[in-house]
Amino acid sequence: MEAASIAHAGHGEHHGPPPAHKSSRVDPQLLGMLLFIISEVMVFGAFFTAYFFIRVANGDPWPATHTQLPVLPTFFNTLILVSSSFTMHWAQTAIKKGNRLALKAGILTTFLLGCTFLFLQINEYANIGFAPQDHAQGTIFYSLTGLHGAHVTIGLILLLFVTIRAFRGHYSSEEHRGVEIPGIYWHFVDVMWIIVYATVYLI
Amino acid sequence: MVARFKTPGFYRALLGTALGGVFATALTWIVRMSTGHATFHHYLSGEAILTVSLIACPIFFVIGLGVFDYWFHWAAGRPTRPEDHSNHGAFTWKDYFKVNTDHKVIGVQYVVTSFIFLLIGGLIAMLMRAELAQPGAQFVDANTYNGLFSVHASILIFFFIIPVFAGLANYVLPLMIGAPDMAFPRLNALSFWLLPLGGIVMLSSFLAPGGSFANGWTAYAPLSTAAPVGQNFFSIGVQFAGASSIATALNFLVTIITMRAPGMSFFRMPLLVWANFSTSLLVVIATPFVAASQFFNLLDRSLGFNFFNAAKGGNVLMYQHVFWFYSHPAVYIMMLPGFGIISEILATKARKPIFGYRMMAFSLLAIVVLGFTVWAHHMFTSGMPAWVRIPMAITTVVIAVPTGIKIFSWLATLWRGVLHLDTSMLFALGFLTTFTLGGISGVMLAMIPFDIHVSASYFIVAHIHYVLFGGSLMTIFAGVYYWFPKMTGRMYDERLGKWHFWSTFVFFNLTFAPMHILGLQGMPRRVATYSAQFADLNLMISICSWLLGLSTLVFVYNIVTSWRGGPRAVANPWRAMTLEWQVSSPPPVFNFDKVPTVVGGPYEYGIPGAVHGILEPAHVGGAREPAGVSSGTHMSGE
Repeated sequence: MEAASIAHAGHGEHHGPPPAHKSSRVDPQLLGMLLFIISEVMVFGAFFTAYFFIRVANGDPWPATHTQLPVLPTFFNTLILVSSSFTMHWAQTAIKKGNRLALKAGILTTFLLGCTFLFLQINEYANIGFAPQDHAQGTIFYSLTGLHGAHVTIGLILLLFVTIRAFRGHYSSEEHRGVEIPGIYWHFVDVMWIIVYATVYLI
Repeated sequence: MVARFKTPGFYRALLGTALGGVFATALTWIVRMSTGHATFHHYLSGEAILTVSLIACPIFFVIGLGVFDYWFHWAAGRPTRPEDHSNHGAFTWKDYFKVNTDHKVIGVQYVVTSFIFLLIGGLIAMLMRAELAQPGAQFVDANTYNGLFSVHASILIFFFIIPVFAGLANYVLPLMIGAPDMAFPRLNALSFWLLPLGGIVMLSSFLAPGGSFANGWTAYAPLSTAAPVGQNFFSIGVQFAGASSIATALNFLVTIITMRAPGMSFFRMPLLVWANFSTSLLVVIATPFVAASQFFNLLDRSLGFNFFNAAKGGNVLMYQHVFWFYSHPAVYIMMLPGFGIISEILATKARKPIFGYRMMAFSLLAIVVLGFTVWAHHMFTSGMPAWVRIPMAITTVVIAVPTGIKIFSWLATLWRGVLHLDTSMLFALGFLTTFTLGGISGVMLAMIPFDIHVSASYFIVAHIHYVLFGGSLMTIFAGVYYWFPKMTGRMYDERLGKWHFWSTFVFFNLTFAPMHILGLQGMPRRVATYSAQFADLNLMISICSWLLGLSTLVFVYNIVTSWRGGPRAVANPWRAMTLEWQVSSPPPVFNFDKVPTVVGGPYEYGIPGAVHGILEPAHVGGAREPAGVSSGTHMSGE
């Protein structure tokens, strides 16, 4: 890489591309994240299709006979995840005002709340009393909550990056897209959980 | 030597691949040990290690290659390196084997890689036709034959047609809209590098114990959940292709929305840009469904889930719904970019404005919307509730309307035009003929009683090849010839190009037209043999298909020799108006010295004084400026 850049340095007329014309007020990174979220919603859509076919089209009992879902403990877990959306929002508004201390506190709290959610979810798997191999209802339960858990994990990795960068002194009131865009993903993960919780546990 | 393994490149990529294998072994070992013998009988299982390796090794390979280096740097919060643009442009052929963020290099990488997959997929087709030359078994057993047609279809759909369009658009689309690059150049590099890896995963299924995946590119459950381990190669290969095409589509959409040159409103965009805009919408919305269908498959096969296990409450019909909810829009993903290419070529080479520009754009969007409403017409004989067929038949007929609008608009564009019948134009006209035939047999298949009669027969094979070969591949050839001077800076041999067209067109029709008859007579597809009454036509089809295969060699020879030593191309050999032709051939490393200004429509041929875009004089000099290039100061219409 170094050698290449030296070799090209001889043709030093260009120092980079001309700045692209901004033909939209939408931020490219923001738009990219929104489109990514659309395709993520469609992945969930496919898993909900499987849920529909097994629960509605097959008409099988939900949850499977002799099993029950821990509706109330998961409700508290839901509250944990939802509250992490509020701390995320706190961090986002803080950095817009240039408050770096509140950014650090907010992003760290969000990260830890997300970890707590994931830990409780795994704990629920360990104690729920049925496995995905047992019946189709178990398959759907584990798939939908597991797919969501995978998204929580992706969100946590993004939040970890933001946390590291926040503690290393990045972000300011002018440059805070790096907080905002992972934040949008985190809100999406939370909203998705409310839908998963409502369809899998409540109705 | 150690430094070689530390710097990004193939050495580190190979090291990464090895680490991927170690990682897969360790992961499966830890998981199986921690869950105990009750579920998994052995701590180490070859099949489990193989499956996880198939996912891990390509990912570790791209990490080793250096695709993720910048992001790792960023994630660790280190000060981001200033972009020195040293990896823009390709100066020797070796640069095409490195991670490159230049959309033009990535475009060439995409096109060449997918053409290699075309040759492999075509070779497999030749083997299939050799087996089918006579009734009875010739030289492969039935299961190998099933593997051949499955890999043939999967490779050509997921690793040729879909990515080659992405590659052509990667090259020309940023130029067409006056952008210096794609919106996310590093993501662009990642989407390219996932592609050859996914293709290698799929092709290596022939080496799997039990043979390659062998139940078609559709991989219907429960056939696929009961198949040998080769099936996992399909499921995982599709995930890489899917991730790659979603990332590219996202990139195209953001590029088109946020990076158009000043003055380029949506209704001044060339139709290729419209086509890729529509296609990318389809990809972003639909492709997650095929990813999910293969997740289901993989979970059922590898972890004993019960999505499709009817004994434990699974639902096999669900697979077909989820699969076709992607795969029907996918046929438009495989066709809309071709529509865009044809619109470019017909307007330029007929020297006329495209007829009904706005209707052309709106019909693309109509296809995007309607494309999501027709999926179950692939399932008329699947045992789904019978009433579902009726709305699906109606929407299937309705979706022929926007396609018909396009066909008639193209014909009206040709009407009284000054046709320049060179190779790309010949392919465009050939496309109009064969695609219309394929479209008509598609409308026939929308008729439920007829569909039930010819379902799973050679009529389907004829139809799909008329739309994918006669449709998509013709447009790809047309597009490659059309942009070859721009991409390589060389002219191709026109005489060989015409030979290529006529041999392709004639032998294509001789190969696939008789299959309509065979299908109507009841010859089933996807079977290694057939009854003696079909022997004559099949022998003829086989011979013509080999000649069709040979015609591809003309193309390969023409492209290779022209690329190496063809005459230098001028900036605008076709006197086209769109922006990519207003810069040198090949374009400068950063496309434009200054972003051009668009002042008119892209196809105003024959209109005195019409101007599409205004460029600052291009900066002459730089590393590899082709000789004999004069960059025009503005567009020349006729």
